[in-house]
Amino acid sequence: VTVYKFLRPGGMSTFTGFPWPLPGDGPGAWVEAPVEPCRSGIHACRPADLPIWVAPELFEIELDGEIVHERTKVVASRARLLRRVDAWDHRLRDAYARMCADRAHALARELPAWDATIDPLTRYGAALLGYMAARIAEQRGGPAAYAAERAHQAAWLAERLN
Amino acid sequence: MAEHLSCQEVVELVTGYLDHTLDAETHSLFEEHLNFCDGCEAYLDQMRATIAVVGRLGEADVPPVAREQLLAAFRDWRGT
Repeated sequence: VTVYKFLRPGGMSTFTGFPWPLPGDGPGAWVEAPVEPCRSGIHACRPADLPIWVAPELFEIELDGEIVHERTKVVASRARLLRRVDAWDHRLRDAYARMCADRAHALARELPAWDATIDPLTRYGAALLGYMAARIAEQRGGPAAYAAERAHQAAWLAERLN
Repeated sequence: MAEHLSCQEVVELVTGYLDHTLDAETHSLFEEHLNFCDGCEAYLDQMRATIAVVGRLGEADVPPVAREQLLAAFRDWRGT
């Protein structure tokens, strides 16, 4: 199974700002951090986790050492970036945002008093639109519908990233 | 309901997040919210900046008049 790492522009970690050693002709340098819930460890995405952690840059990452599977991520004690996923560019991010907005509209149509307009081209990012679509699904069908919508988003991404 | 944090809950939990005292699941839910919510991300940045600035202040940085006003305010507060 391919494991991914979303980063901010320039290869910066989304939450800690850690500057990741980027891959060049080969993989980036190994990074180590002991696994300690909430405090330490290298976080990565399984394909099903991708919609939760959407960010501007996407890399394939190799995990090593202690590996712990959590609800929405994998945490490892050692990892290195293998390659940037070039398919995750602004066009695919925009297409993903559009897909999520369309799904949100389609799901909301049957809800009472739905009159909002969700515009994927406004300041809303792809991560927020994915969340909105999943929450609207949850409003209609409960937690299982939320999970199903997230699974749909993950499948949409996986199909285009591989 | 599936588990999510609202913006209000994120505001209430921000100190725990910065102090690393949230349990693993709440910590994860906090970051899941931050990843899509620009407003809460900005709030977290403001909290970090405030802590960085206030953390550099020493007693000598407080002017005597302000120091006396603060002490008086706390004396009054304790007495009510």
